[in-house]
Amino acid sequence: MIEDKDRKADPNWAWAVYEPDARRPWTGTLAAHLYRRAGFGANWQQLQQAVAEGPQATVSHLLAPGSDVEAFDRTYDGYEGGVGSVNGLRAWWLRRMIETPHPLQEKMTLFWHGHFATNGAALKQTRLMREHLQLLRRHALGSFAFLLQALARDPALLLWLGADANRKAAPNENFARPLMETFTLGPGHFSDDDVREAARAFAGWFVLRDRLRYLPREHDAGTKHILGQAGEFTGEDVIRIVLEQPATPRTLVRKLYRWFICETDEPGEDLTAPLAESLAADYSISAVVETILRSNLFFSSYAYRQRVKSPVEFAVGVIHALEGMVSTTQLGRDVAGLGQDLGHPPTVKGWPDGRYWIDSIMLTRRHNLAWALLQGGDPYGDKLDSWKVAQRHGYADAESAAQFLLELFLQDDLDPDVREMLRRNVREDAHTDSAAALDRLTYAAVTLPEYHLA
Amino acid sequence: MAHTRRDFLRAGVGGWALMSLRVTTPNVFANAVTAAGTRARDRDTILVVIQLSGGNDGLNTVVPYADDEYGRNRTTLRLPTDHLHKIDTALAFHPRMEAFVRLYHEGHLSVVQGVGYARPDQSHERAMRIWHTADPQRPERQTGWLGRVADHVRREVDGDTSAVFVGPIARPFALNAERAIVPCVRAVEDLTQRDSPREMSEVGGAGVNDALLEFVRRRMVTARAKSERIKAVTAWDDYPSFELAGDLRTIARIIRADVGIRVFFAELGGGGIGGFDNHANQLGNHGALLHQLAESLAAFVRDLERDNLLDRVLVMTFSEFGRTLKENGRRGTDHGAAAPMFLVGGNVRGGLVGPHPSLTDLENGSPKFHTDFRRVYATVLDKWLGCDSQAILGQQFETLDFFNA
Repeated sequence: MIEDKDRKADPNWAWAVYEPDARRPWTGTLAAHLYRRAGFGANWQQLQQAVAEGPQATVSHLLAPGSDVEAFDRTYDGYEGGVGSVNGLRAWWLRRMIETPHPLQEKMTLFWHGHFATNGAALKQTRLMREHLQLLRRHALGSFAFLLQALARDPALLLWLGADANRKAAPNENFARPLMETFTLGPGHFSDDDVREAARAFAGWFVLRDRLRYLPREHDAGTKHILGQAGEFTGEDVIRIVLEQPATPRTLVRKLYRWFICETDEPGEDLTAPLAESLAADYSISAVVETILRSNLFFSSYAYRQRVKSPVEFAVGVIHALEGMVSTTQLGRDVAGLGQDLGHPPTVKGWPDGRYWIDSIMLTRRHNLAWALLQGGDPYGDKLDSWKVAQRHGYADAESAAQFLLELFLQDDLDPDVREMLRRNVREDAHTDSAAALDRLTYAAVTLPEYHLA
Repeated sequence: MAHTRRDFLRAGVGGWALMSLRVTTPNVFANAVTAAGTRARDRDTILVVIQLSGGNDGLNTVVPYADDEYGRNRTTLRLPTDHLHKIDTALAFHPRMEAFVRLYHEGHLSVVQGVGYARPDQSHERAMRIWHTADPQRPERQTGWLGRVADHVRREVDGDTSAVFVGPIARPFALNAERAIVPCVRAVEDLTQRDSPREMSEVGGAGVNDALLEFVRRRMVTARAKSERIKAVTAWDDYPSFELAGDLRTIARIIRADVGIRVFFAELGGGGIGGFDNHANQLGNHGALLHQLAESLAAFVRDLERDNLLDRVLVMTFSEFGRTLKENGRRGTDHGAAAPMFLVGGNVRGGLVGPHPSLTDLENGSPKFHTDFRRVYATVLDKWLGCDSQAILGQQFETLDFFNA
């Protein structure tokens, strides 16, 4: 762990590339931290490879994992093609997260799903939600400008916001307002007049019979005054104008900071300024994400375990680490019961995060989900097997398998007395049934307070 | 090696999780657990909302039997006067609501009459949305009024789960929150940890200086304690076999466990076909639903009375609209407007609140409202839950007088 707390405020240090040395060594702890943030946690092979290759090579790999990604996405796009419900899409998406060769892409797709927070409950056609999620995935690490232009014409988003009919005579603010308030500028950086004028610029765009339509006679060709600029603006101009405002990159960077680095502390303006400048230059999402993931700050105690795992991160993490697959139809339901129903964010502001994920009923349900996944009966069946995974990686006796599992799930970073107790329990129980004893160890490990932190 | 999963259960998994739940500052947690155990928040009031889905016919629920207009407009749906349960010389409860008569005479039931809002919407979906958001001007609003209560509790006092939906249908929008998670509960097993714990063993040691980790640890201790308390409470069996009765039985059990949930939401009518939406052949179906409501609620009240809990509980019913005065030629009624709301509890004053709406001064064939539904909500928020109604409803409403002083 890098212990440079007093240096956090120094942007030059914070965003400089992390280079391991004797005082700040590269360890499995940091490798697992990287995989929790850039993906859904590491399995054993990923952890070992990351430790061997070092932080920068691992980040490079996470940003561009190689050529099999397109084939994987094509295959899954095909699976999703015949799905008839948003909950069906939810199941395939969870499966993608568990198996993907490009975890960062799925993690950023989830980020944008929370950011644009489109709820598919009222959509008549599942196709619209499928296309919406595919759009988020396609641009997840690309250009935010392209992403935003595409979403301004996305039927699922427009229908969800009630922005599917925008007439010249009655400009509809249902897209223009969240565009400014939630998707880009943030509260306090625009006026009601800006929203009204922007709505005029979007007049003419409709969703009719679930298809996007432009009706030229409904377009308002007049002059609009938006955020200090005047002109005969169209919707595309509005997007350009909000992207030119310095508040937009600042707001997005703060959100990315919270997503990747830390939920417990708001960063100062000085600290985020270099990232905001980088984003403002070309709106390249991957450039900012890359700077964050390679940085001193990312690998410091300011970031380590300073986020709460969302329900999706929690559930996918357990399954991915145990190299198994379960019914993600059931998993989608259970994860929804933990407060994160993919395809159905609660409001246009997306999901809560941080401490909001943790209340006593949600912790009880995380316990019960871990129990259901590991105990071997209905509804998940005997799909996850801690003992087999340990053996696969060469840990042939219960004692060493126990150490393996603690390393896999917690990188052994837990209270020494608790660790001793868990290992003693395995020693005592392994005489009768090693496999059950090790599944119990996994259950105990993933319900420890430390495991709920990302 | 043979891997018999049954052993997983036998060995008592929970003991592991529990014992490994290391308590870093034992005194604080010991206090937390003890405090929970002695019901320190004994005075917390509880709201139970029951949604009657489909649009309840208020006129055949609280019946204006002495009004000639009633008989004249209800040729087949008119309820026979000698079967009615009379409240006074003008009004009576439906024949199948005998349990409500007892509650009424015991002083546990208030009937707020003529509740609605201006320019009532007659689509089920939009009208229900208005009752759920409590915002007729902005029904597209993205949070429900009780969801905002849950958000308020979570934000202001970093509170634990404060609201739940109990029932078999999708969670009603009234509970949609921006930040707080409002869970759906089918049975108490949805709120208890699956494994059975061994003895709690406290492992000593140095604390970790990390606020977030400490927060999760604390919540974990609370979660375990609450789960155990819910398990320790047994349910009363003396309920009728209706779905709503089962949900109220679950709610009573959770109330008795005293785990800090202040708002419960249950529902009647949405699980089956039509529910209260009786456009044809209304008589039998409507009577059966009212019977379920009355009997289920009466059992709930008796259950709470056993432990002197009724004083802490307020039940409120609502429906998205009432129905037309005139029946429609198919022995049914169509979508209307104003209707009565019921309030049941140990602290309600009992009796009628406001006059019965006129049967000659109609709007779209339905009685007009005289009491905005948000006045009822505001009264419940301010005078019962102690939650600033202006913060939740966005404006100030004059409260009503249906609680004991």
